[in-house]
Formats: sequence, C-alpha cells, structure tokens
Amino acid sequence: MADPVSWLLGFGAIALVLFLLFHLLLALLLIVPTWRICRRAGFSGAVSLFHLVPGIGLFIVLAVLAFSQWPAGESRRQGL
Amino acid sequence: MGVEIAALLGFFGVTGFFAAVGAVLAGWMAWRICEKAGFPGWMGLGATLLILTGVGAIIPFVLLWVFAYMRWPRDDEFAAGHAGAGGWSPAGPPAAPVSARGLPPVAGPGGALPPPPRSLSAPAARFRLVSDRMSIDVPTMDGAYLVTAAPATTAQELSIADPSIGTPHARLMVAGARLGLEDLGSAGGSFVDGARLLPEHGPRDISTAQTLRLGALEFRLERS
Repeated sequence: MADPVSWLLGFGAIALVLFLLFHLLLALLLIVPTWRICRRAGFSGAVSLFHLVPGIGLFIVLAVLAFSQWPAGESRRQGL
Repeated sequence: MGVEIAALLGFFGVTGFFAAVGAVLAGWMAWRICEKAGFPGWMGLGATLLILTGVGAIIPFVLLWVFAYMRWPRDDEFAAGHAGAGGWSPAGPPAAPVSARGLPPVAGPGGALPPPPRSLSAPAARFRLVSDRMSIDVPTMDGAYLVTAAPATTAQELSIADPSIGTPHARLMVAGARLGLEDLGSAGGSFVDGARLLPEHGPRDISTAQTLRLGALEFRLERS
C-alpha cells in the first residue's frame, strides 16, 4: 500500500502536466488565428503570445487590438 | 450546514460575477475589433456572447479562425483607394489606369509612362533619402517607382546597389507633396520610423515619416 501523501503528490503532478498540456493546446488554437489578425492589423504577431498568460492572456490581446490605433489602418465605417 | 451552503453560494456568486464581467469586457472589445475591420460591431459581440449559450466555446473558436482568414471590408476600402487614417490614397483623381490599390501602375520595361494627373492639390515636394553611405533623390514627377538592387533600366526604377535590397524591394509613390511606400515582400524588409511595413499593409503614406529602413540601410527622409 503506497503512502497516501506520495499518492497525492503523484496525482497532483500528473494533473499539473495534463493542465499544462491542455493550456498549451488551447493557447495554440488561439495564437495561430490571432497571430494573423495582429499582422493584418499592423502589429507584431508576437502580441498573440500573450495567450500563453493563463487567465488574462485573451483579454490582453483583445485590449491591444480593440483600444490601439491599427498601424495598418482601420475601417472608416466605424460607428456608422 | 448553513455555513457550507452559504460558502458555496458565495463561491459561485463570485465566480459568476467575474464570468459576467469577463464576458461583457470581451464582447465590448470584440465589438471594437470588428468595427476596425469594417464589420458591424454586433457581430463581434454576438460571437462572444455565444460562449454563454449552450453551444459552448467551439463556435467562437471557429468564428475566430474564419475572421482571421476571411477578407475584411477594410481591405476592400483600401483596395478602392479610400484609405483611412494612416492609409494611402493619392491626392486628386487618377488620370492613368489604376492598379488594384488605386495607384498608377509601374511601367514595365519598354512600357509607356503613366500620364501626369489632371490636377495636383498640392505643390510638388522633393524628397531625399539620406544615409551615411548614399543620398537618393526621389523623383518629383508623380508616379510609382520601383526600388530594386538591380541596375535601373527605366525611369520608374530606383536602383540601390546593396545586398540587403531585394529585386524588387519596395515601391515608392509620389503624388504632389505626398510620398507613399509599399513593401513588395522583400527579405530584408521595410521599416517606417522603426515599424515594420509588411506587403499586406499595402501602400502607406510616409510623407511625415522621419526615418526609413530598407533592408540593412537606414535612411533619413529629408524634404526640400
């Protein structure tokens, strides 16, 4: 019978690895299209790497795109 | 027992509050991003709020990918020559046949020069690209000029003999007192005031720019 503490530590390590893998996969699914959107907006594609920040990464990228002047130009039909 | 229930309700209450704030923030920002790209803002808001429905997050994911790779109305506006702030559109009505981006086409070897515009809204200005090694006078005649490392064979080509310059590298456009630049996918890249200009950005107005980097060559943009 294994020590309960060791069992918990092992379970925790596996859970952590699974969480990291899931997070990386999810971030990758967001980074690829966002990289292209950032490039089209005139920003560096590296801005999309903020998706790697857990929790608030998505909001950072959205805020950059939403509240900055796009270097590549914006539509003139805003607010119409 | 009552304490545990209260704690659970409090936990889910706080979680729900943050989820609601996050959804509203994301919806607001998606609204602005869609408007900048030329779409109605409600499309971004609607796509974001789909997360709250039973459909789950898969639909917004798909929509994000579609948004990234589809053609934006902003691109069509620029293609029609109605560039917004920071974009480029030549002053005055074009007299010559125009390219897809509303600019006079560059005449190829042996091709006819584009005729001058019918009217100029601003007097011609002389631009000069000055680096430590060379000084290049940008032609004052309206038109598009190809920047290339190859020897110039026509009046529409500006030759810069440097290994970091592509063949062709970029296109300079002169329209009265305005100067435009379009990168043509060069390996060395084009930079305006330190910002990378990509081919998908199209022609940009650089009349007020201070520095220009073509490949490894750093130029000051001087006017006279």
